[in-house]
Amino acid sequence: MNLSFILPDDTGANIAPKDEPSAPSTLHLMPVEHAIRATGLTKRYGDFTAVDGIDFTVNRGESFGLLGPNGAGKSTTMRMIAAVAARSGGTMEVAGLDPEQNGPEVRALLGVIPQQDNLDEELSVRENIIMYGRYFGLPRRWLNTKTEELLEFAQLTHKATSRVEDLSGGMKRRLTIARALVNEPEILLLDEPTTGLDPQARHILWDRLFRLREAGTTLVLTTHHMDEAEQLCERLIVVDQGRIMAEGSPAALIREHSTREVLELRFGLDRNQEQAEQLSTLLDAADASGSIGFSHVEVLPDRLLVYAASAESALERIHAAGLRPITSLVRRSSLEDVFLRLTGRSLVD
Amino acid sequence: MTDQLHVRPGIETSTSPAADKHALAGRVRRVGALHQAERTLRSMRAYGAVILFSSVSQPIMYILAMGLGLGVLVGDGGDFAQYGASSYLMYIGPAILASTVAMSAGIEFTFPVMEGFKWRRLYYGAQASPLSPGQIASGHILAVSVRFAVHAAIFTVVLALFGAVSSPWAVLQIGSALLGGLAIGLPIMAYVSTLRDEKGQMSLIQRFVIMPLFLFSGTFYPLTNLPGFLQVIGWFSPIWHANELGRVLAFSQPTPAWMILVHVLYLLGITAGGWLITVRIFSRRLGLEEWRGRTPGAKADARRQTRMAARDGADVERSAAERSSADRSAPERGASDRSAPERGERPASDSAATLPRIVFRRGFAANYYSGNIRAVFGRGLTAIRNNRGVIFLSGLLEPVLFLTSFGLGISPMIASVDAEQVGLGGGGTISYAAFIAPALLAVSAMNGAIFDSTWNVFFKLKITKLYRTMMSTSLGPVDVAVGEIALALFRGGIYALGFLGVLMIGGLVDPLAAVLMFFAALFIALGFASVGMAVTSFLSRFQQMDWMMMVLIPMFLFSATLFPISVYPAGVQVVIQALPLWHGVELMRDIAFWDFGALTLVHIGYYLVMTVIGLSVTTYRMKKLFLR
Ligand SMILES: Nc1ncnc2c1ncn2[C@@H]1O[C@H](COP(=O)(O)OP(=O)(O)O)[C@@H](O)[C@H]1O
Ligand SMILES: [Mg+2]
Repeated sequence: MNLSFILPDDTGANIAPKDEPSAPSTLHLMPVEHAIRATGLTKRYGDFTAVDGIDFTVNRGESFGLLGPNGAGKSTTMRMIAAVAARSGGTMEVAGLDPEQNGPEVRALLGVIPQQDNLDEELSVRENIIMYGRYFGLPRRWLNTKTEELLEFAQLTHKATSRVEDLSGGMKRRLTIARALVNEPEILLLDEPTTGLDPQARHILWDRLFRLREAGTTLVLTTHHMDEAEQLCERLIVVDQGRIMAEGSPAALIREHSTREVLELRFGLDRNQEQAEQLSTLLDAADASGSIGFSHVEVLPDRLLVYAASAESALERIHAAGLRPITSLVRRSSLEDVFLRLTGRSLVD
Repeated sequence: MTDQLHVRPGIETSTSPAADKHALAGRVRRVGALHQAERTLRSMRAYGAVILFSSVSQPIMYILAMGLGLGVLVGDGGDFAQYGASSYLMYIGPAILASTVAMSAGIEFTFPVMEGFKWRRLYYGAQASPLSPGQIASGHILAVSVRFAVHAAIFTVVLALFGAVSSPWAVLQIGSALLGGLAIGLPIMAYVSTLRDEKGQMSLIQRFVIMPLFLFSGTFYPLTNLPGFLQVIGWFSPIWHANELGRVLAFSQPTPAWMILVHVLYLLGITAGGWLITVRIFSRRLGLEEWRGRTPGAKADARRQTRMAARDGADVERSAAERSSADRSAPERGASDRSAPERGERPASDSAATLPRIVFRRGFAANYYSGNIRAVFGRGLTAIRNNRGVIFLSGLLEPVLFLTSFGLGISPMIASVDAEQVGLGGGGTISYAAFIAPALLAVSAMNGAIFDSTWNVFFKLKITKLYRTMMSTSLGPVDVAVGEIALALFRGGIYALGFLGVLMIGGLVDPLAAVLMFFAALFIALGFASVGMAVTSFLSRFQQMDWMMMVLIPMFLFSATLFPISVYPAGVQVVIQALPLWHGVELMRDIAFWDFGALTLVHIGYYLVMTVIGLSVTTYRMKKLFLR
């Protein structure tokens, strides 16, 4: 047993899950309670730092997300977990092993779903799963049975003998996932699992991922869709430019970094900025009693976001003051707002 | 796509010329093909050094190897006076020009077209601009024509410098060679532009179309040297027509006027027809017009689907049968499965059928080699099985074609080869066919291994990214590299068996030697595959493959395959002896003529070194490429 990571240390304390009820001390007494643990993880490409010293821990059986815009360094982090990219600095343990020292062994524990489907076009759908299993050294006889089970799971049984080329985007994605499950991985790495899929295909996929979570598989997924993160992740880190901006469960992050509700207003392109200041002053003054719970106003190119505990009362106030926005919308806060608050930019540009 | 935007200044980049959309459209209608040609030429310019270098070096190499080398063997050239040539070199010069153009047509009209439609979908980018599909096709043809013309011009100059032309009309060879290249290339381009998918058709075209048309085109000997039925191939071959035209132009080969007319009309006819059909196919494929509701290649796909379904069905039945028999013996199996996990194994999780243990190699280099080469090899076999069998078998054809062409075509000019002269003990003479047969086996082993380890590996590395997928499983880089090399050897082994069979039927080798030669062929293939893979791991673009070809062709020409090394001065001999193929050729001859000596060991040692270096570099690069 490797003792070095059992001892509590500063970096470990920083990243202990915020709303995890179990105290760090009990956590650390377990042998390898965490599936993945990274400290000071860094990746440089020449002068450019893609991942800039990040720390995180993924517990066993948890579903953990990396949320961030394109280029944040999510895929790079995933590739370092999967032992297909060398670290420039920091440590990494996957099930207690260093991926760089024990590549094949670590990858045997993992199921990897890369950002781009890379199915084998020279093989049929079924052969894709079987051959992938063979790469893990699994016996063909066992694979024949397992493959039927996975095709069923991915709802591809009727396509078993088709060429990969003849599959739709959603089917390809499901096949990639089925293929990654062939070694019954303990940890599943999903890099933007649903990007580019239509809503229906995406919901089918989510459903499959829920089932895996139920079955106790550790899920690590990256996404730049906050709804996906809210749906699938118990805990997540928000990354931007290779750094961790915040960490916690989706609900806790929203609670911490945003108000309960948001009021979206459009005044027309050229008037947004001047209206923002006016609104700020107005709502600050009106909120003396605290009934609105006003926090602040964000200006986006096409609209204003008014952050308040009660967006409805804020809107009443605004109307009462004689302001007439072209459109108004009351909604709950989302991770998008968290990201906006933390970085001053929106997640999907 | 952005390329196209950049190379057509004045259309997208600045606003003022683009303001008048009507005038713009008219201009593009008139000269759009030129825009596309310019674009292609510019992208060629990126590797223009390669093109220029090959245009200069090819003629020199062919002149030195075939003209002078084979010329020594063929005789003093007196026989060629009847054709109007003063030497063997002069006789083959124009034909080599036409042949090299035709060979490069086989590349320029296939891969870039496939790239345009499928691999990089460049044409779909051009299509979004005001260019018409026909202009895209014509643009490519024009650009390639420019390249051919430059090549032919340089070639002609080099021939003249060697005194291998005797008529000022030789300049017109540029036209005849270009026409020959288009006549062979355009029908191929038309065919390739109907393909939805590259499933080995490129190598089929090389082996079944371009090779026979080249080998039986009377390039290295008069077509009449061949038996009648093989001459027929020559009559159809655009290369033969271009050769004959070139000969008329370069040294006034006596030819009746009507025959000249036939050559010209034949080449013009095919070129015009091929061009029209290509433009039409491009228009259909890139335009809105459907294939009358039919997808090209759909029928073949459907047939293949049925075949695969039948095979899969069999597999499923087999596995179902196995499952039911396994169920019966389940209790014992379950018990043994639950034994304590041992070192290097991971305990199985409980599911319907328990996951068998994933076993790792531990210890030395466990990070690079997981002990599962079999899986990589197995994947290759499955892929070969899924492809058309004819593609696999076509590899057999190449050495047989070479042997037929040179054996039958050159033999009338060379009665026999003096054993002493070719460095074989025992004295006496051997037939020319028996002389080249073992060497051709070595050449074919090299070609097969190089093809598998360069084109195929490049494809899996850069285009399909198969290796990346493999490296996300428990495979290590060594498993992938060795598995791929094993696959190349498997394929090479089958080709060697086939060729040796032909040689035995022809009485050119005896059975015992054949067995040893089989293993020698695998050994040679191993050396080339290892080095080929190592080199490929450094390449990043298709065009860099040209460099590879530029090494292979001289190696073949100067390998003492078609004539003994003794025809060269000592200085040149040393260079040839440093090249790997010479060692392979000599090793094969040592076995075939049962003439072993200390040099035999040197040949073997040479390949051992190649293999070790190649494998080490490959492994190192694989790690670099996939663990970045
Ligand atoms: N192989 C590479 N070489 C150089 N830069 C790279 C490489 N891979 C990724 N990058 C850069 O690293 C940054 C992070 O990339 P990536 O991890 O793919 O981001 P994400 O997945 O979050 O969109 C990007 O700016 C990207 O351009
Ligand atoms: Mg990414």
